[in-house]
Amino acid sequence: MDSVKPHGILRNCLKLLLLAMAAIPAGAQAAVVVIVSAKSPITSITAEQTARIFLGKTTSFPDDGDALPIDLTEGNAIRNEFYSKVIHKNPSQLAAYWAKVIFTGIGRPPIELANNEAVRKAVAKNPHAIGYIDKRDVNRSVRVILEP
Amino acid sequence: MTKACYIIAVLGIFAGIANADAAGTDQPMFIFGGFGSMGISHSSMGSGDYVPDSSIPSGPGRTAAWSTTNDTRIAGNVAAQFTPKISALLQIDSEYHSGNTYQPEVEWAHVKYAFTPEASIRVGRLALPTFMEAENRDIGYTYAWIHPPVEVYRQEPITNSDGFDVTYRSQVGEWGNSIKALYGSAMRQTYASPIPSDLTSRNLWGIFDTAEYGSTTIHAAFQQRKTDSGYMLTGQGETQVTDRDLSAGVQYDPGDWFMMSEWILRESTYKTSAMYVSGGYRIQKFTPYLTYAQNSSGSFLPDSPPPSQDAIMLANREQSTISLGMRWDFMKNTDLKLQFDQVMLSANSNGYLENVPANATLFGSTFHVISAVVDFIF
Repeated sequence: MDSVKPHGILRNCLKLLLLAMAAIPAGAQAAVVVIVSAKSPITSITAEQTARIFLGKTTSFPDDGDALPIDLTEGNAIRNEFYSKVIHKNPSQLAAYWAKVIFTGIGRPPIELANNEAVRKAVAKNPHAIGYIDKRDVNRSVRVILEP
Repeated sequence: MTKACYIIAVLGIFAGIANADAAGTDQPMFIFGGFGSMGISHSSMGSGDYVPDSSIPSGPGRTAAWSTTNDTRIAGNVAAQFTPKISALLQIDSEYHSGNTYQPEVEWAHVKYAFTPEASIRVGRLALPTFMEAENRDIGYTYAWIHPPVEVYRQEPITNSDGFDVTYRSQVGEWGNSIKALYGSAMRQTYASPIPSDLTSRNLWGIFDTAEYGSTTIHAAFQQRKTDSGYMLTGQGETQVTDRDLSAGVQYDPGDWFMMSEWILRESTYKTSAMYVSGGYRIQKFTPYLTYAQNSSGSFLPDSPPPSQDAIMLANREQSTISLGMRWDFMKNTDLKLQFDQVMLSANSNGYLENVPANATLFGSTFHVISAVVDFIF
């Protein structure tokens, strides 16, 4: 057995990995941010508080104002990133969670809108709303309260 | 069934008067859905049937080497939100039960009134949340296992109650808490060997609490009921027996893996206990898991009437199970699970095997069960 061989394989793998990493353009990955209306008094929120609102475990912000969560529709990449980063659930875990909640009559999932722009517009209009969109779609009508 | 009809009628009336109110919200008034499971299982023990639930009259083992009755069911569910304060739920469930049929039954039918977002009352047929997965025990898609651990979940055969419950949700810092008080009655036909019986329970009440902090969930419950199963347990006419359950559970689920454990102390004319510990790891669409569960044999209370032979058999069901399984989320809203169980019966116990012939001595045996199930939601 050639004892040098494994090191050689490892070195080649590392080279390939570095090449692959360099090939991914920086900023190609969308970044999800949690937003409220510019009219809302909320300036920040924790991931845990956001999770409680989006999972229907509370209907208010920590300072007691009503919270109306707005989701992106299923299959949206930003939605998947939000649930993976902030709520720590993949799409099937989320489907299982809502199956439990809906079928036991505890609650209902948030309203869903089709794209970032629709969520931003709905959030901008309603001082109680909370949503998440791609950072690139943020404008002055909304305030970023969490960058997970 | 009559009660369920009442509730459906009430739903209809609300639907009529509530249209105007619902028009202002973006949410639909009704959410129609359902869930189901198609399962098949095989047991290496030919002298008794392996059934995970005491309402199932037969299963793999003695009745048939391969059986589809343990984990096959379908249910339809309607959740209605008439006004921000008034909602209702109806669930019709078809699974294998008494009479050897899949005759559909009303599992839940209730109307809920929310005084505030935190405080609510529900009236009708309600789930009994004895365990962490008690309310969703029929919805296989909501957990990793083929079915919840038998040793623990078989301790309480009553799954719903006709009556009311009051729930209060609160939040202290990062802790969320939900406490529920329930009162009602329940009827359920069970096949717990040696005697099939109608378990009629009255004055059923309980306190149930669930606390959550981040990825941690803690559940604690106490419930008590008067059951007309006295004759079976004492051999002395229509005696009523008080059943008490004290249960607790903890779950840690940060997303990529989970760990959970539940315990129950149960007291009727005898005292018994059960526990399980289970963990799993999520790798992409696969969730391998491992569970260990055991229950203790019952010890008769000194002040209870002398136990009948049947009661001794009922109390002495000590067994333990090691389960190794895998859940595969192979397509949207659908999973496939495979599970291997090694069941070890204690000395002087037939465990939870049913339909064991009177002359069979299975004490101390070990056997295996293999199960496959496809769960879906729609």
